[in-house]
Amino acid sequence: MRNLYLFFRKHYFIFLFLLLEVVSLIFFFRHNKFQNAVMYDWTSAISGRVNNTYNSIAEYLYLRRTNFILGEENAKLHARMPQAIYLADTQIYIRNDTIMQSEYRFINAKVISNTTNRRNNYMMINKGIMHGIEPHMGIIAGDKIVGQVVSVSRHFSWIMSVLHKEVKISAKFLKNNQLVSVEWHGGDYQIGVVKEIPKHLIVSAGDSIITSGNSEIFPEGILVGTIKQVKEHQDENFNTATICFLTDFNGLGYIEVVLDMFKEEKTNLKASFQEL
Amino acid sequence: MTNLVSRNIVRFFFLILFQVLILNHINLGGYTNPYIYVYFILLLPFATPRWLLLILAFIMGLSIDLFSNTPGLNAAATVLMAFFRPFVIRAVSNIPEEELGIQPSMRILGFKWFLSYATILVLIHNFALFYLEIFRFAEFFQTLLRVILSAVFTLGLILLSELMFYGRSKK
Repeated sequence: MRNLYLFFRKHYFIFLFLLLEVVSLIFFFRHNKFQNAVMYDWTSAISGRVNNTYNSIAEYLYLRRTNFILGEENAKLHARMPQAIYLADTQIYIRNDTIMQSEYRFINAKVISNTTNRRNNYMMINKGIMHGIEPHMGIIAGDKIVGQVVSVSRHFSWIMSVLHKEVKISAKFLKNNQLVSVEWHGGDYQIGVVKEIPKHLIVSAGDSIITSGNSEIFPEGILVGTIKQVKEHQDENFNTATICFLTDFNGLGYIEVVLDMFKEEKTNLKASFQEL
Repeated sequence: MTNLVSRNIVRFFFLILFQVLILNHINLGGYTNPYIYVYFILLLPFATPRWLLLILAFIMGLSIDLFSNTPGLNAAATVLMAFFRPFVIRAVSNIPEEELGIQPSMRILGFKWFLSYATILVLIHNFALFYLEIFRFAEFFQTLLRVILSAVFTLGLILLSELMFYGRSKK
């Protein structure tokens, strides 16, 4: 026993080192499972406040651009107003609740911290459980894709941006609805990779990629990007392509959280199928 | 003695704020940024007990993690770096221990000593940080480029601040 004690005393430096490394690595690898944990709540309360302060200062520097974006957004919304549309058939505006139930709702929020230079990028927004945000909700900016909620505290939420190792977007071609998936392989934050393009598809640069709506995270038709360059693989079943993201990940200001009103119903349906 | 402790405490908080509020928002070459906070570990006095070295590195790393939502990532890299610090000090110096002075400084130990000391430790830290972050070898060379870019800029900042406080450090 005494020898054991002496042994530990002699090599305490290495043991302490190993202990701290193991603790760090446990933190690191369990991070995604930490959602809603108590610890998360207080750490984000501190870092959220600091980020908020930083952001409220930095916001002044971007006022001009924010104004511009809001103006643009306004113009787009005006174009959608009934007054702006030529009424060819008035019947289209009769709202029957049983037919036209809204499937998605959107919560407006502000990005208060954001990165694009890591391999796995996250951002924090200034809304949380209080505002009805839950993990796995999608995040969009206007009509462009941004990311997905990974964890929420009372006032803040952490978003896993599309620029993340774990993200795989279920997407499709705008022109022919063919399903593909989009990932980001690091490096330039404006360039992603489109995978699983069927061989027979004729793809050309500039083709638009939108979300498929298959994932329960994003509604159908959210813009992902445009094809930049196609790579043909002779010995594989699918081609790949590079894609230019349409989202300006480095300049995100205000974003919207997507609430799928039928999410519960969809997951229940899936669960009941798996039980069979 | 108290002066030395309080200087290190001030440096600890200053470097965290500097890292989190300024450097984390800087993009170099589009996808990396300098990690100046390791300067704190580099400058700890020679007489720091080794267990304290590890604990301080752990706290420093976790504090940075708290603000960048990467729990454990910076902590693991910084603890690794602190672990190697005593060995690196012994390896790079021909200078006998009693002439090392109170804390590592360029003024007392010379440019070459300080540069090799800082370079080895910063590289250890960056290697651990970036490869742990991607945790796969598929993007090996791309990550290597990030490691080197980030190390060069971190070292640049460290040497710059060493030069700036050149006259102030006392033996």
